[in-house]
Amino acid sequence: MTVQKLSDVEFGMELPAFEPDTSLAAARRFAEAAGYAGGGRFEDHEKARAQGLPGALVPGIMGMGLLTRMIHEWAPSGRITSIDTVFRAPVLADHEHELEAVVTDIDADRCEITLDLSIRNKQQESRVFGTATVVLPKS
Amino acid sequence: MRQEINLTLTLISALVAHRVRMGLHCIATLNMVDIEELKSKFLDLEFDRTGFIIESDKCVAVASAYGETRPEFVDRAHPDFQVCLPVLASLASGRRLPIDFPSLGGISMDGGKAVTSFAPVRPGTQLSGRTHLHDIYAKSGRSGRMVFLVSRMELYDDKGTHLANTDSRQVIREKPA
Repeated sequence: MTVQKLSDVEFGMELPAFEPDTSLAAARRFAEAAGYAGGGRFEDHEKARAQGLPGALVPGIMGMGLLTRMIHEWAPSGRITSIDTVFRAPVLADHEHELEAVVTDIDADRCEITLDLSIRNKQQESRVFGTATVVLPKS
Repeated sequence: MRQEINLTLTLISALVAHRVRMGLHCIATLNMVDIEELKSKFLDLEFDRTGFIIESDKCVAVASAYGETRPEFVDRAHPDFQVCLPVLASLASGRRLPIDFPSLGGISMDGGKAVTSFAPVRPGTQLSGRTHLHDIYAKSGRSGRMVFLVSRMELYDDKGTHLANTDSRQVIREKPA
């Protein structure tokens, strides 16, 4: 389901849940594109463990990217004016995750909505949470 | 952010109340003064200015790597082609903290990123990032105190237009004394 304009949005509306590709290959691809590769923590489980990590990580800004993608797919005409992501715990590569978002505020005067965001693993542990503000056409 | 600050204030108040009950008022006060001292010395003072030019290839590669489908982020020929927000969040200032900022002695972690967009950032534009400490706060728990340092980079184009702010939240778990 998608929304096109502000009047399509209701308070408490949940965006369609999204299970992104958080495989090691995807994390490595993103790290290489962003210039984060080379240290091993996003590319190789063994190298990451040697640095004291539980395994290779999905880069934090990749999580932000996945959340923006989810919002863009839900609201194709929306513009994200702000996004804040809190890295509560590592997002581990090769673990399955689910992205969720819910509408927590609608400002009709500014044509703006606020979303609460989260990335959870399969144990329902919150790894990333945050908020985003999205501007939508009024009609 | 407001909720976090409220939570922090609540936690600090609870900690102070607890320590007063335990007769440790001086320690609690000292901890709080430390944070206040840091704030008074370092908040809102620019400590870094770095120039950036974001290439269109990088924009497309990063956006494609997280599966972005909106053409304005992945199609160089699109009339509204622009830099996606995660690329802005990845911009790093020359210094992470002011040169005279004291070492807090603990383990530093990346606590999060935020971007506020005022206008689209176009690839190839000469950008100037001006960085200051935007917030300093602490949270206390069973395992000790964590100090949060929020660095804000204000991004301007070569005409001086303020295009975006990016916040980097650094978390430092203090070593027990």
